[in-house]
Amino acid sequence: MMSQWITLLQKELVEMWRNFKWLWVPITFILLGVKEPLTSYYMQPILDALGGLPKGAVIKLPEPSAAEVLVEGLSSYTSIGVLIIVLTTMGIIAGERKSGVAAMILVKPVSFISYVTAKWMGGLILLVFSFFIGYLATWYYTGILFEWISFGDFLHSFLLYSLWLGLILTFTVFCSSLFLVPGTAGFISIATVLIYTLISGTLTKWMKWSPSMLTDYANQLLAGQSLPTAANPAAAITVTATIILLTLSVVVFRKKELAA
Amino acid sequence: MTLVEVSGLKKSFHGTEVIKGLDFSLERGKCIALLGPNGAGKTTTLRMLSGLMKPTSGSISFSNYGKGEDIRHLIGYLPQFPVYFDWMTAKEFLQYVGRLAGLSSREAKGRTMELLKRVGIEEATNRRIAKFSGGMKQRLGIAQALIHRPLLLMLDEPVSALDPFGRREVLELLEELKKETTILFSTHILNDAEEVCDKILFLHKGRIVESGTMEELMYRYTEAKIDFSFNQKADKYETLFAASPLVNSFKIQGDTVTVEVTNLEKARSYFLNRIAEENWSLSKFEISSMTLEDIFMKVVGNDEPVDNTITKRIG
Repeated sequence: MMSQWITLLQKELVEMWRNFKWLWVPITFILLGVKEPLTSYYMQPILDALGGLPKGAVIKLPEPSAAEVLVEGLSSYTSIGVLIIVLTTMGIIAGERKSGVAAMILVKPVSFISYVTAKWMGGLILLVFSFFIGYLATWYYTGILFEWISFGDFLHSFLLYSLWLGLILTFTVFCSSLFLVPGTAGFISIATVLIYTLISGTLTKWMKWSPSMLTDYANQLLAGQSLPTAANPAAAITVTATIILLTLSVVVFRKKELAA
Repeated sequence: MTLVEVSGLKKSFHGTEVIKGLDFSLERGKCIALLGPNGAGKTTTLRMLSGLMKPTSGSISFSNYGKGEDIRHLIGYLPQFPVYFDWMTAKEFLQYVGRLAGLSSREAKGRTMELLKRVGIEEATNRRIAKFSGGMKQRLGIAQALIHRPLLLMLDEPVSALDPFGRREVLELLEELKKETTILFSTHILNDAEEVCDKILFLHKGRIVESGTMEELMYRYTEAKIDFSFNQKADKYETLFAASPLVNSFKIQGDTVTVEVTNLEKARSYFLNRIAEENWSLSKFEISSMTLEDIFMKVVGNDEPVDNTITKRIG
C-alpha cells in the first residue's frame, strides 16, 4: 500500500519534471514575487531614464515600507499565482481519465485513495516548493532594497498563505475528479475562488474564520501587528476543508465509471 | 476447473439495456473467444469483467475469491485502444505498472526485460512510447497486461488494428500464452477465433446466442450443403427439390439453389444419379460444409441482412 503510493507519487514528480513544470512554475513564481520590490525601488530611476516627469509636475513618490512591498508582492500569488495553480492542476485527474490512461492504470490493483492522494501530494509539493522559493526571493530583495522583515514573520506568513493556496489546489483536484473535461474543472475552480473571495471580503463580519481571511491575517502580521485571534480557527477550518475536499475527491472519483 | 462464473450479467446505459443477461463460465487454462459484430457488447462485457465498469445487475465471481476482494490482482487487461504516458519509455511504463501491481522493484525490473523480449519490442526498451507504432503499442499492451502473471488475461480486439504480419505474430504469441494462463479475447474476426481458441462465445445484441468448442459447434451445425448452379433460372426446379428426400431446406436465388441435407454421402449419390438420369442443365455442383461464418450467420438469425462487420480474412 505504502510502496504503491510512493510509486504513484514518484511518477507524478517525474512527469512534472519531464514536462518542465519543475522549471516554469518556480520561475514564474519568482518573477511574480520579485517584480514588486524591484519596481517599487527603481521607479524613480526608471522614470528618469524614460525622460523624467514634465517640468513643473511635482509628484513625490512615497517610499513604501518593506511590509507594504512584501504584502504587495504576495498579492500577485493570490491572483496570477492562483491562476497558475489552477491551470497546472485542472487536468491532473480529468486529463488522465479523458485520455484513457487512467483505465490502463486502474485495472491494476491500485487503490483509488492512493491514486487521488498521490496526485494531490505531487501538486502540493510543486506548489509549496514554487511558492516558497518565489516568496523567499521576494523577501530577500525586499530586505536588500528596503528593510529586512524578520525571518520568523516571513515563515509564519508563508505558512498562512500556503494553507489558503493549498486549499485552492485541493479544490481544483476535486473539480478535476468531478468533471471529465479539464477546462470545465479549471473554469469552475477559478469562478468558485473568485466568488468566494469576493463574498468573504464583503461580509468580513461573518467571515472571520473563513480560509480566505488567512492572507489578510498574514498581511497584518507582516505590518507589525499581532496576529488576530481568529487566525487559529481560520487555519483549523482551512485544514479541515482541505481534508474534506480531498476525501470527496476520492469518493467522487470512485463512483465514476472509468471507461466512458 | 472453473475460474470465473458469470451469471445474469446486465448493463444499461441511460436506460438502454446493452447487455441483456449473460451466463457463462470460463475454464482455467482455456482460450476463449468472445465473438460478435461491432456493437454486440464485447467491450462492455470485458470492462465489467475487469472491474472498470459496474454491472447493472448480475454477478461475476472468481473461484476461491470472496465478494469484497480485489479481483484486479488476478486480471490482466488490454483495452481496444491502449493509452500510455507518452513521456515514459517502454521500460519505465512496464516497471511502473509492475510496481503498482505489487511486484518488488527487482521483480518488476526482471519481469520488464523478460516481457519486452517476449513480445518482441526489446529494441525499443528505452524509446519513448510517444514514438511507438500502433503494432508496438499493442505489444506493449500485452506485456503490461502480463506483468503480474494474471490468472486471466483479457484482450479487447487485440489483432483487429494490426497489419497481417503484426496479426500473425500476436496470434502466435497468444498460442504460446495459452499454455500459461487463461485467455479471454474479443474479436469480430472469425478466423482469429477459429485459430487460437478452444471455446467460442457468440455474442449478439447483448446476449450469448451460442457457445461451445469448435468441434461441438461444427457438429451441432453441420448440415452439409450442396450448391447447384443452373444454366437458366432455377425456379422451375422448385417442386423437384421440395419433393426430394434427404433435403432439410433449400433456397433458390436466381440460377442457384442451395440445399441443406442431413446425410451428405447419401444425398450426393442421390443427386448425382438424378442429374445424370434427367440430364439437368447444370453448370456447377458443389459440396460445401459449414464454416464458422455460416454458423455465425445462422446463430445470429437468418433473416438479418449480412453484417459486413463480420469479415473473413485470409491470413
